[in-house]
Amino acid sequence: MKASDVARGSAVDAVTHEILQGKLLAIVDEMGIVLARCSMSPVVYEVLDFACGICKLDGDLIAQTNGITLFTGTFANQVRAMHERFGPGMAPGDVFMTNDPYQGGTHGCDFAVVRPMYDGVVPVGYAITVAHWLDVGGAVPGSLPADATTMFQEGLRLPGVRVMREDRLLPDIVAIIRENVRLPELALGDLNAQLAAARIAERRIQEICAKYGRATLTTVFDDILASSERQARAAVLALPDGRYSASDFIDGDGRSDDLIPVNLVVTIAGDTMTFDYTGSAPARAAPINCSRGALHSAVKTIFKAMVAPQAPSNDGWFRPVRVIVPDGTVFSAVKPSPTGWYYEGSAQASELAWKALAPIAPERFSAGSYTSLCATYFCGELPDGGGQFVHIEPQHGGWGATAHRDGANALIAVTDGDTFNYPAELLEAKFPLRIVRHALNVEDGSGAGRWRGGFGVVREYEVLAEASYLYASYGRSRTRPWGLDGGRDGSLNYIEVIRPDGTTTRLARTAHHALHPGDRVRLVTGGGGGWGSPEQRPPAQIREDIADGYVDVAAAEREYGLAAATPGHKTGPQERKPAINARISLIPSPPGGRREQAR
Amino acid sequence: MSYLATDVGGTFTDLVHYDTDSGRISVAKTLTTPDDPSRGVLNAITIGQEQGVISPDRIDRLVHGGTTVINAITERKGVKTALVTTAGFRDVLEIGRGNRPDLYNLHATSPAPFVPRRLRLEVRERMDTRGNVLAALELSDLDAVVAACLREGVAAVAIAFLNSYANPLHEEACANALRARLPGVAVTASHEISRQWREYERTSTTVLNAYVMPVVDRYFDRLETALASRGFRRPFFAMQSNGGMASFEWARLHPLSLIESGPAGGVSGAAAIGEWLDEPDVLYLDIGGTTAKCGVVHAGMPRLTTEYRLERTRTRPGYPVQMPVVDIVEIGAGGGSIAWFDDGGALRVGPGSAGASPGPACYGFGGVEPTVTDAKLITGVLDAATFADGSLRLDQNAAVRAMESIATRLGTTVGAAANAVIRIAEANMLNALKLVTIQRGHDPRDLTLVASGGGGPMHAARLARELGVRRVVIPPYPGVFSAWGMLVSAPRRDLKRTRLQAAGAEAITMGRAMFADMRHEAAEYFGAGPEDLRHVHAVEMRYRGQEHTVSVTCHPDEWNEHALLAAFHEAHEQSYTFRLESAAAEVVSFHLRAELITPRPTLVAPDAAPEANTPSARTRSVDHGAAGRQASALYQRKSLAPGFRALGPALIEEPSSTTVVLPGQSVTMDSRGLLVIEEQE
Repeated sequence: MKASDVARGSAVDAVTHEILQGKLLAIVDEMGIVLARCSMSPVVYEVLDFACGICKLDGDLIAQTNGITLFTGTFANQVRAMHERFGPGMAPGDVFMTNDPYQGGTHGCDFAVVRPMYDGVVPVGYAITVAHWLDVGGAVPGSLPADATTMFQEGLRLPGVRVMREDRLLPDIVAIIRENVRLPELALGDLNAQLAAARIAERRIQEICAKYGRATLTTVFDDILASSERQARAAVLALPDGRYSASDFIDGDGRSDDLIPVNLVVTIAGDTMTFDYTGSAPARAAPINCSRGALHSAVKTIFKAMVAPQAPSNDGWFRPVRVIVPDGTVFSAVKPSPTGWYYEGSAQASELAWKALAPIAPERFSAGSYTSLCATYFCGELPDGGGQFVHIEPQHGGWGATAHRDGANALIAVTDGDTFNYPAELLEAKFPLRIVRHALNVEDGSGAGRWRGGFGVVREYEVLAEASYLYASYGRSRTRPWGLDGGRDGSLNYIEVIRPDGTTTRLARTAHHALHPGDRVRLVTGGGGGWGSPEQRPPAQIREDIADGYVDVAAAEREYGLAAATPGHKTGPQERKPAINARISLIPSPPGGRREQAR
Repeated sequence: MSYLATDVGGTFTDLVHYDTDSGRISVAKTLTTPDDPSRGVLNAITIGQEQGVISPDRIDRLVHGGTTVINAITERKGVKTALVTTAGFRDVLEIGRGNRPDLYNLHATSPAPFVPRRLRLEVRERMDTRGNVLAALELSDLDAVVAACLREGVAAVAIAFLNSYANPLHEEACANALRARLPGVAVTASHEISRQWREYERTSTTVLNAYVMPVVDRYFDRLETALASRGFRRPFFAMQSNGGMASFEWARLHPLSLIESGPAGGVSGAAAIGEWLDEPDVLYLDIGGTTAKCGVVHAGMPRLTTEYRLERTRTRPGYPVQMPVVDIVEIGAGGGSIAWFDDGGALRVGPGSAGASPGPACYGFGGVEPTVTDAKLITGVLDAATFADGSLRLDQNAAVRAMESIATRLGTTVGAAANAVIRIAEANMLNALKLVTIQRGHDPRDLTLVASGGGGPMHAARLARELGVRRVVIPPYPGVFSAWGMLVSAPRRDLKRTRLQAAGAEAITMGRAMFADMRHEAAEYFGAGPEDLRHVHAVEMRYRGQEHTVSVTCHPDEWNEHALLAAFHEAHEQSYTFRLESAAAEVVSFHLRAELITPRPTLVAPDAAPEANTPSARTRSVDHGAAGRQASALYQRKSLAPGFRALGPALIEEPSSTTVVLPGQSVTMDSRGLLVIEEQE
């Protein structure tokens, strides 16, 4: 052992460490490729609603695919739950699965497949993959009834069962799945893809053990965690100690349009951070809740964004983090509270942390964004007896401005990541739907400011199917994305259904809305909040926005006080009129629904 | 006959000349002239003419490749471009796919569009998914388009309509009208570039093509005129990204097809070597100053991707190019790659590079950071006096000084630090090689590795041993291998049609018709009869519900439902470890690859010098890593001839590179002058 390795407290030299860490990242990448390419569900292969990872024997995550943030740090608890249940009874060739939200999981649609990995007969760790199955049974196709009052309406629950023994599928479990889900071919196709990904991981780990030795590998596991922990603690130490708070509202829970108050106090003390969600509203008898596993994931996402956004994720990063919340809040739901739309709750938990920390870390955070994944389901019958269809798509939206530039247009919400929107041409070839418009939502605008918010999106569909319906969960439908440092608030998310006779219905979270041929469905996401006072925005930038049609002349005058803001018109500071602090909104902003004074 | 190829790189312009009568290869290298790269090409030709090697009237084929197109795009030196879309879709280009690969970076943005919103114009028209007209093209909407283009001084227009992959009628009409009304403006319609679905990807491709079209047009114009005035005979050929070449005339209308012409030349050269060695599956590795690139040749053809994204990184989604491009994985690991410690204290190598300036510390041009080349000098693979044929004397002390920072931090010797830097660089290369082989369903043990670039021959032996490939081939003149590959490539076209179908009798009928149609298009393009063309037919298939496809090679005359499905299940299992015999399968698209059968140069052995192949009297002490420091036999490649055989450890020097042979390996020179390294036993 060399001096430097002793200093690092490791028995493995730095070079081997680096090489093995590279190999571990290559393994999780390979798992992800296998899973995405084999999957049957558009949610997996287009939206990439899945993650793959490698965990230590004690469950700590060592390496993870870079897919979406929702699964940041859910793996350890799921692996531990499997370990507690089966522990000594596990054997080579076993695979287990769980979709239990109350045991580290997220919601019933997300199935985790856990494979203990062996070097010969000696266990070395776990391979885990989680994927969103399109349907797991329950009250509605897609298994996310927006009006669920208990988890029993959200479909099949497998709380940790053995699905393979000696590398062979157990027919009893397959039969249970087949008979309890609406699209068994898709579900079993995805299960196959997950099993293949986990199998590849074990094969690769065995190759590493053969070449470098098991002891070297497990030492590297510990070194990876220790190195990330050191970096995370150093980053926290550099922040000013103190208490930082934020409060906000969740707009509706699926059963009611109530504003649900939530709040957070972040305490930074030395090299540790505590996130205390105590005082947030009690869990709802509606699917907006998230469980502890998803809450931890939400906090870790923001923590990671703050300390080391580009570094590979593992559980070492999160050792300085503590999360406090009593059981039974919207962020810590317990059985049998429904958690179908858990990502709406978890998005708000993330945003609270973001909002609390943005003022002390402007180089990492932006103003508020459209936040909600705006999951949209179209379901119905295919023409000519082609069977049922379920089309699910998340919506991309506007992000907040930063201290240095305008907000990003049309990006996926914080809960996701490498998540793609759905091409019109693919969609029209598969489903009885036609897209008549896919555009930036400049009509509703974004938060004005020295830097303005990014724009959301308008996707307008024409319904072709004889019998179909829509369900959806759009948050931020009443409480606008927050501006920062004098920047204005952004705009709202909503759906409009326009009948051929022109009757228009506005929706946000809806359990079932019947559709008929010729109906237009307009999916609209909001623009992000602005950063800095609009009066400081240079007139030249405003005129560029006008020339490109991002902002019209009337809005420029209203928001920026820029007189005759027409291209070619000479302007100077004296031409500004006092900005009229007016916003046009279809639903008035509730009092206190904007940025809190509490910060 | 004689052949000439030129590869215009970022720093150097390479020229390779091959005379079939004498079997003699001649090479020239000059500095690239970025303001007008045709000058660099002509400078290189002048050298060849002055040496009496090149006589323009004897050249049967001239192939040109290089970085002109990719540089024009990455340096944003294209022209002011407008985009015309179906009404309701002008923002598709800016919205993109909305993904955030840099998922924890809350300041992330999508790539900025190449056409600003004010130049994205809409016209009313609509096709459905099967290509039926839902709304006729409103030609009167073009009045506003023409006015905007004139007002803004637009030099190129891209047209991309929804579902035009299924029926290009409206795009054709729009393109014709705009060409008539905007003389002098370059017009590209999406169906001329791609007949595949996904509107953002096709629109992005069309816009990029339009954006560089006038630039490439002017460049080829100058080059063609200059070449003709020197007495070279038309037609001239351009190396395309698909590993084949096309006439200048076609390339001027489809300039984006040249985007990766340099790497495509290399892969094409690797395919030719595979053909001569009767090896249909080849792994190709090129290691330059800044990056390492690798790709695969499968069944004699370069593996292609249709998911190429320009400027993609782990954190940036990049710009899609929906054209067949050789499937290359490129990583930041080359001779100039810098060794450093990250925040966590781990030793890393690359992607930062000392490049050509200041270059590695040992170049003595002021570089102080330790690089892979410095490590190679310290371990003895490179020699201070013989590097680059003695044209650049390396500074051993500077290399040691630079490496000391690594050694100190690791608590080890400079020699061990140099070995560590090489091990890490090679581990990165290995992960890239695994990505193009194992992760794409190819077993490295079935492959021959062809290594080129200045660095390829230095690293190949060890990478080959780690991967377990069958053997390593080091081509002649590895430093100009891309140009050499262009020399041996053939005129080729890839045609692709998307048409989603259940994999049944109907799909077979439709496939036959589509393939016949594409074969007809290819024959027309080449102006050749069917007997002059070699065709590969492939069908992209998937299980119903899947999105991604696997490619199944077939011949439409021999198709039936059963054979097609059997081949698909087989291909799926090879790629993804399982098959779903009971699940329904779909055909997504048809892919025809047509290649013109034309005379191509084959290598013949170099003339043997009288003293050739005598056992080496000289040795150099080289640290071979795990095998330790050993006296290694030293050879000069130019004095070797077919029949040469030696055992490792050995070094074979030539001006552009040094081939390393490890203890336990043997090296031979075959009848074509290729160096072949194999494990002993």
